[in-house]
Amino acid sequence: MGIDGILQEGFVTTTADQLINYVRTGSMWPMSFGLACCAIEMIHAGCSRYDLDRFGIVFRPSPRQSDVMVVAGTLTNKMAPAMRKVYDQMAEPRWVVSMGSCANGGGYYHYAYSVVRGCDRIVPVDIYVPGCPPTAEALIYGLIQLQNKIRRTSTIAR
Amino acid sequence: MSAKLEALSQNLQQCLGDRVKSLKLAFGEVTLEVAAADYFSVMQSLRDEPDLAFEELIDLCGVDYSAYGNEAREGLRFAAVSHLLSISKNWRLRVRCFAPDDDFPSLPSVTSIWNSVNWFEREAFDLFGIVFPGHDDLRRILTDYGFIGHPFRKDFPISGYVEMRYDPEQQRVIYQPVTIEPREITPRIVREATYGNAENA
Ligand code: SF4
Repeated sequence: MGIDGILQEGFVTTTADQLINYVRTGSMWPMSFGLACCAIEMIHAGCSRYDLDRFGIVFRPSPRQSDVMVVAGTLTNKMAPAMRKVYDQMAEPRWVVSMGSCANGGGYYHYAYSVVRGCDRIVPVDIYVPGCPPTAEALIYGLIQLQNKIRRTSTIAR
Repeated sequence: MSAKLEALSQNLQQCLGDRVKSLKLAFGEVTLEVAAADYFSVMQSLRDEPDLAFEELIDLCGVDYSAYGNEAREGLRFAAVSHLLSISKNWRLRVRCFAPDDDFPSLPSVTSIWNSVNWFEREAFDLFGIVFPGHDDLRRILTDYGFIGHPFRKDFPISGYVEMRYDPEQQRVIYQPVTIEPREITPRIVREATYGNAENA
């Protein structure tokens, strides 16, 4: 919302959609779901060098408080029910970022007996970040893409 | 060979006598093979004899020898291999023991000798199906709850038998038979004939 010029007038007009999207993109609180090596790169993105906080992205330890889930790492069969449970506990509206080859499609465990061939078999995914592991920059780029995606949504209902 | 390993081999021969099935010294490591009937008593002696004094068990793992060396093999299929460390003597030992029955491999548990072996035996049971009577909590440790089969056996397919997905109707995660084609992997490895020779190192 460009509000610089009209701020002197003392009031701002906007649409409800724009306002809601502005608020949503400005405070995407991810549920960190670090499963393997990718989680380290996600931590890099969150720490002082890349500093996700400046996007209003603050990691939350509880699904009830978060609206984005970053699936960072290898999703095994044993973990999949737990991940679905966490996803079900998140409040709407919610988004999922799949990070790394393993979460995108099984990665080099694609043919393994114990790994889910992509976390989109378990939860609907909004953004795929490729790489093994994706760099912290790549994850931030993915999260910015997710912000763009949310901004494009034009209804309050999902 | 170093004098220390010679001394260890001698002590082993002395303390264990004819319970030693074979004793090999290669690559600076000592490997002791024992029969399943002697396995428990040998392990007990290895810890308690003051000349051996293996206070610590570093690792125990199962091995499936059915396709070992990519050729047909005679003899038993499953073995449990342990690595022992003596802190007071500063030497190490590898103990291999083949399980008698290929269809129901079973070896006595050594949890009463070394506590640390608890989870390793569970792992060998989970991945190879080797049963350890005397273990008080022999559950699967790595694979999924309710998993069927022993994935590290050579006859277990790489992709397994089932895969997982979310079923929107039942609103939960379910297992279904695998849907992907098995993949043939033919590794192309070019190596010099002398690769891995100790003299070339
Ligand atoms: S994609 Fe690569 S880095 Fe990420 S969890 Fe899988 S193996 Fe590890």
